[in-house]
Amino acid sequence: MILSSGEQTRRKVYNWAGRCVLFAVTSVAALAVLAIILFIARDALPFFSGNDAGTFLFSAAWYPAHEPPQFGAAAIFVGSFLVTGTAVVLAVPPGIFAAICMSDILPFHVRQVLKPVIEMLAAIPSVVYGFFALAVVAPFLQGMGRWLPGNFEIASGVNALTASVILGVMALPTIVSVSEDALQAAGRELREGSYALGATRAETLVKVVLPAAVSGIFSAVLLGIMRALGETMVVWMASGNAAQIPKPWYNLLQPVRTLTATIAGDMGEADQMTGSAHYHVLFAMGFCLLLFSFACNLAGEWIVARQRRRLRGG
Amino acid sequence: MRMSTRKMLDRAFTAGSCLAVALMALFLLLVLAPIFVQGAGAYVFRGTIEYRRMMLGEFERGNELRVAQEWSEVQRARRPIYEAMAAFERELPDLPAARRKELKPSFKAVREGVESLLGPEPGAPLPALTRKIYGQTRWGGAREKLSDILFEETWDYSGGEGRKVLVPRQPAFEGTALAPVFPLLQNGLDALLRPRLTFYPRFLTDGSVDAHFFGGIGPEVLGTLYLALGAMLIAVPLGIVAAVYFQEYAEAGPVLTFLRSCVNTLAGVPSVVFGLFGLAFFINTMHVSQGKSVLAGALTLALLVLPTVIRSSEEAIAAVPRAYKEGALALGAGQWRTILTVILPAALPGILTGIVISMGRAAGETAPIIFTAAVSVGRLVGPADVLTQPTPALSWNLYNLCTEHEAVDEIRHVQYGMAATLVLIVLALNLAAILIRARVAKRLKG
Repeated sequence: MILSSGEQTRRKVYNWAGRCVLFAVTSVAALAVLAIILFIARDALPFFSGNDAGTFLFSAAWYPAHEPPQFGAAAIFVGSFLVTGTAVVLAVPPGIFAAICMSDILPFHVRQVLKPVIEMLAAIPSVVYGFFALAVVAPFLQGMGRWLPGNFEIASGVNALTASVILGVMALPTIVSVSEDALQAAGRELREGSYALGATRAETLVKVVLPAAVSGIFSAVLLGIMRALGETMVVWMASGNAAQIPKPWYNLLQPVRTLTATIAGDMGEADQMTGSAHYHVLFAMGFCLLLFSFACNLAGEWIVARQRRRLRGG
Repeated sequence: MRMSTRKMLDRAFTAGSCLAVALMALFLLLVLAPIFVQGAGAYVFRGTIEYRRMMLGEFERGNELRVAQEWSEVQRARRPIYEAMAAFERELPDLPAARRKELKPSFKAVREGVESLLGPEPGAPLPALTRKIYGQTRWGGAREKLSDILFEETWDYSGGEGRKVLVPRQPAFEGTALAPVFPLLQNGLDALLRPRLTFYPRFLTDGSVDAHFFGGIGPEVLGTLYLALGAMLIAVPLGIVAAVYFQEYAEAGPVLTFLRSCVNTLAGVPSVVFGLFGLAFFINTMHVSQGKSVLAGALTLALLVLPTVIRSSEEAIAAVPRAYKEGALALGAGQWRTILTVILPAALPGILTGIVISMGRAAGETAPIIFTAAVSVGRLVGPADVLTQPTPALSWNLYNLCTEHEAVDEIRHVQYGMAATLVLIVLALNLAAILIRARVAKRLKG
């Protein structure tokens, strides 16, 4: 096709301009995350300049309404980690087993039916899970105490355990679908080689496929941790919201308070006084959450990159 | 290891894995069943005469003549109760002091119970709160109130730990004028309240009366739709453009790696941090509105769903066969035209799937809108107010009603109705996505 030179220049300019516009819009979308970091940090900094970061991290005296206020968030950090850790411990074993079942055991059409189940579990809004915890699980758990050995007295159905169980259910779909992808990516040849050597399916899966997919499963667990740590509504509604370190620390039947729930619950009072220390401490907590999620993200990417290198290396 | 042991281990492993999947399905059922079963109770229930009076009084709905006739019949049935209560009040001062002291608080409880069961006594001044003008509008609530009247709840500490015991009130009143009230209430509740199967589909669109004691969830549903649609209006163009750039234009290099890891990071930001950002940036820095507004909420939600929209659009674009693109380029179409007329139309169903799923996510999120858009007092927001006004929303108001409401237990049906409606909206969107995907799969198969 022959075009006049003017037409050709015009096309080139158009293409170039279009490219620039696309790049600009894409940058806006991508750089939003930088804006988030920037603005959370901007509103978190005044807290760290006015208060001691050591007290914030290591003191458990959380009295934001006192005069002078005390912002020791150690109990809140412990609460967040306790609830997240329990949720992940509860969700990872069934999650991995379910992923194995979905990828290697169930026939194709059963899997097609079960996929929507996972999607629905993931799609149910967190506030509905919270409501379920509050209206169904908490009263049930409260009545359970009598049946447990040792005649427990469960003071309240909203405690760390309730929140953890529900968070575990919420993290399950993420763990299952990401692990399943990792298991499938391990490839057919690996499995067939193992079967050819006479291994049973369980042996193949445990000794061959799982080790090959271990990095993907790690990143699934990391994503599950991120989901549980960043979840707000369920822990706000079901964890009891008491800023205290449970005694002993593994006593899950006591109420705890998490970072996300503190931000959500206190900002209602703090936002009329934008600029107060209470307002800034909540941003400091948000900043810590951001840091955790970055750390998880980086760890996940590092694991995936390492695995890729190893595979390439043979 | 012996063969039989290995086989047995293999079977146990299979059974364990299947159990895990079954467990997951069970969880889904456990969560959804109570919410749907109880949630249906907000739309279909046994409504009493008080419900029909309330509908007539607050919403001007129903057959005025029939309600009036029914009301007069019901009042005739109720008269003996009020008469007995008045008679007891008259004879109360004449009772021996000890008996009087014993019966007085119980009588007070009975009287309050009757008031909340049947509404204020005829002739009494109308209460200020709407919830007190009418008796129990729902048969379920009426049964609970009846049990409060008939039985006194006490705690029995004889076995060491406290146990709830229901003690009937009637024996204490034996021989007084109040005694006949109890059988009248217990056996004649049907005649006193006239329950009838009621369908209330307009629960979905009605405004609420007196802090959700009566009425529906219309403002919340509308607010949720505003927020979800607004978020998609902002996120979809941005997301599709970014996906086109990533798939069709970007060249591998540090810039691309950086942009991609930015998008990945955005996907991992906790939802409550989005809320903080919305407050700090859109409201306190950009001043898109005076305070909370639908616009600020939609902007925040748009950021939240952006990574999902970008990712799913990218996948859809990448799935378009290369031959399509090459064919278009060979016919002399420029890159622009190829993208607009060939690639995007072919990728549309996939893109749509992502959009629909993200919309469900935006509709269900609560944490990002707490500081940017949501208010608990329900007022219907008109389309003209979206730029400046905050709105109630299903997700936030569900939280609010089941934790901060003054009478959490009395409006359980509204909470369940809200939860069921929200889940239905989200699942309907997901179902739509599944259907679109199934159609695409079929078309690709040929």
